Amino acid sequence: MEIAVLVKPVPDAETRLRPDAGGSGLDPEGVKWVLAGYDESAVEQALLLKESIPGTSVRAISYGPLARAEEVLRFAIALGCDAATSVEQPAGAPDDPLVTAAALHLALSKRAVALVLCGKQAGDDETGLVGPALAEMLGIAEYGVAVNVRWDAASSALTLQQSVEGGLVRVRASLPAVVALQQAWNDPRTAKLPNILKSRKAAIERMPASEVSSAIATVQALAARRLAFRLPPPRTGAKMIEYKSPEEAAERLVRILREEAKVFP
Amino acid sequence: MVDFALTSEQTSLRDMARKFARTEMAPHAAECDRAGRFPDEIYRKAWELGLMNLNVPTEYGGTGLALFDQCLIVEELAHACAGMTTSIIANCLALEPILLGGTEEQKHRILDPFCAEYHLASFCLTEPSGGSDAGSLKTHARRDGDHYVLDGEKCFITNAPFASLYTVFATTDPTLRHKGINAFVVSRDTEGVLPGKEEEKMGHRASATSTVRFEGARVPVANRLGADGEGFSIAMRTLDQTRTPIGALATGIAQAAIDHAAAYAKRRHTFGKPIAEHQAIQIKLADMTQALRAARLLTWEAAWTIDHGERGSLESAVAKCFASDAAMRVADEAIQVFGGYGYMKEYPVEKLLRDAKLAQIYEGSNEIQRIVIARELLQRYA
Ligand SMILES: Cc1cc2nc3c(=O)[nH]c(=O)nc-3n(C[C@H](O)[C@H](O)[C@H](O)COP(=O)(O)OP(=O)(O)OC[C@H]3O[C@@H](n4cnc5c(N)ncnc54)[C@H](O)[C@@H]3O)c2cc1C
Repeated sequence: MEIAVLVKPVPDAETRLRPDAGGSGLDPEGVKWVLAGYDESAVEQALLLKESIPGTSVRAISYGPLARAEEVLRFAIALGCDAATSVEQPAGAPDDPLVTAAALHLALSKRAVALVLCGKQAGDDETGLVGPALAEMLGIAEYGVAVNVRWDAASSALTLQQSVEGGLVRVRASLPAVVALQQAWNDPRTAKLPNILKSRKAAIERMPASEVSSAIATVQALAARRLAFRLPPPRTGAKMIEYKSPEEAAERLVRILREEAKVFP
Repeated sequence: MVDFALTSEQTSLRDMARKFARTEMAPHAAECDRAGRFPDEIYRKAWELGLMNLNVPTEYGGTGLALFDQCLIVEELAHACAGMTTSIIANCLALEPILLGGTEEQKHRILDPFCAEYHLASFCLTEPSGGSDAGSLKTHARRDGDHYVLDGEKCFITNAPFASLYTVFATTDPTLRHKGINAFVVSRDTEGVLPGKEEEKMGHRASATSTVRFEGARVPVANRLGADGEGFSIAMRTLDQTRTPIGALATGIAQAAIDHAAAYAKRRHTFGKPIAEHQAIQIKLADMTQALRAARLLTWEAAWTIDHGERGSLESAVAKCFASDAAMRVADEAIQVFGGYGYMKEYPVEKLLRDAKLAQIYEGSNEIQRIVIARELLQRYA
């Protein structure tokens, strides 16, 4: 069977973010794009499933500006995905989870995919909507915040554990399905150097912007409009306490909390 | 065209090495340093990920990277632990003579099975009576039919206690000096190959170093690399290739020293402000940064020169010598920035100084590098 894993390029955590000239979006200049953290967990789960189910292949799919999408797809191939599809974001298309879901739906509707894995949310906008919206468009079930996914050959179904308030629930899910991953229990693997080299030359299937435009036309009208993009104000007011002993530090802290911050009388 | 921008392929190689260095090596660096432990499990993992036989072409089972790309990786690894890095790149040093002097048949016969599994190899040149004067080796190779019989002792050999393969330089006739030297590939299983016990070292304590004795070890003539008497040339050409990554290793140490020192300088307060706001500390950090960046660029230039098909003796000697001297100075200043804490083993910077020291000594001491540089320079004024 074919497993699809959805991968989103997000700014690297070490990148310094800046608003663009219009003040409503991120200035892409100098941004390093990497695979979103939860998506990396999704790739890891997809590869573990591939290793446990004979005859399974994994296709990574990414929607976004071509160069960005292909960078994370090559990373996914280096990790062990068998194939990749890049869905080109038309110029001017809004960054909106419903639009993203519609674009990915176009790529998925052309393939017989039994299982779609994705991160429960992306590390940039954190909407957590793409998985559920895509499942709705595909007309299949969605399972969120999964921490691990196993294939039960006897019942030909998935068993997955979902993280809920204060614990875990174990669920049996039949296919097809969309499963959104929480941080996986097992650390995502590191790509091997020879695989990184091979991934640079791997062929990537492309869905051109022209094709994507018509697929997203309807939902695009519903897309949320981003009004402003600002960085949080720089933190101020930190106060260093000079002290010689822990007792003195505690005493000064209490005095500041009481007299300056007025946290308690 | 000169271009300092890395390709996206190079960025991904470097990022991968950085991830391995930070997640697999760095957390164990202090513990291995303290205990002098050889972390075999980390080296095995490095091999699994293709970080071990970087210079061996893919057709023989290696990773097959250009020297420039090797240097990017070595700098990242050394940032986490120079000692582990020495053991990880020792295979490159030990296998380079085979790449340079071996026939197609020898390369496939020796390298294919070696690279297919986790194995360590050692480069055996230095002897107790001297390392710098490599032309006057005492380890003797006597021809006996279709074998050579090796007798003698090598010392300071990286990974020797755990290696399964040794490239050994020995003389068939000491009176011929360097013209009598041959290079041999010797399997650990050979009778009369006796690695000694691990040395206690000042730094690079996650790496293992020992003597190797050869007592009548019989090595097939088929395992001699190159023509009779070509051994010295193979050794020198090997070091021309592997010196540059030592520049990268030193650069990694210097980068780590600056990372620690700058972060500490912003955290530590004296006289009511972070020490980073005292100009004396700023000047230190500025000088450290200059040394670091020059070390990196000289390393890149040497690697680039060699990747463009030149021998690069001058460039690689400049890179290795400058970068290791720079790492020493930068690590020294990092300790100074840390003050008394810098002198304590609980903090990471004193290790950097101990580790940087070796880069001035091995793969040709910096005195020898300066001899090479001057020789290459003066030749141009004939
Ligand atoms: C941890 C460690 C790992 C090592 N790993 C390996 C390995 O894997 N394989 C291997 O073969 N070797 C290895 N070595 C050996 C290393 O390469 C030698 O130590 C080095 O080449 C210097 O040789 P030596 O120690 O015999 O010093 P000597 O050659 O005795 O030199 C002593 C001093 O005199 C200086 N000197 C020598 N000749 C001259 C000259 N003509 N002009 C000016 N100054 C001179 C030297 O620079 C040095 O300062 C390792 C060493 C160490 C410490």
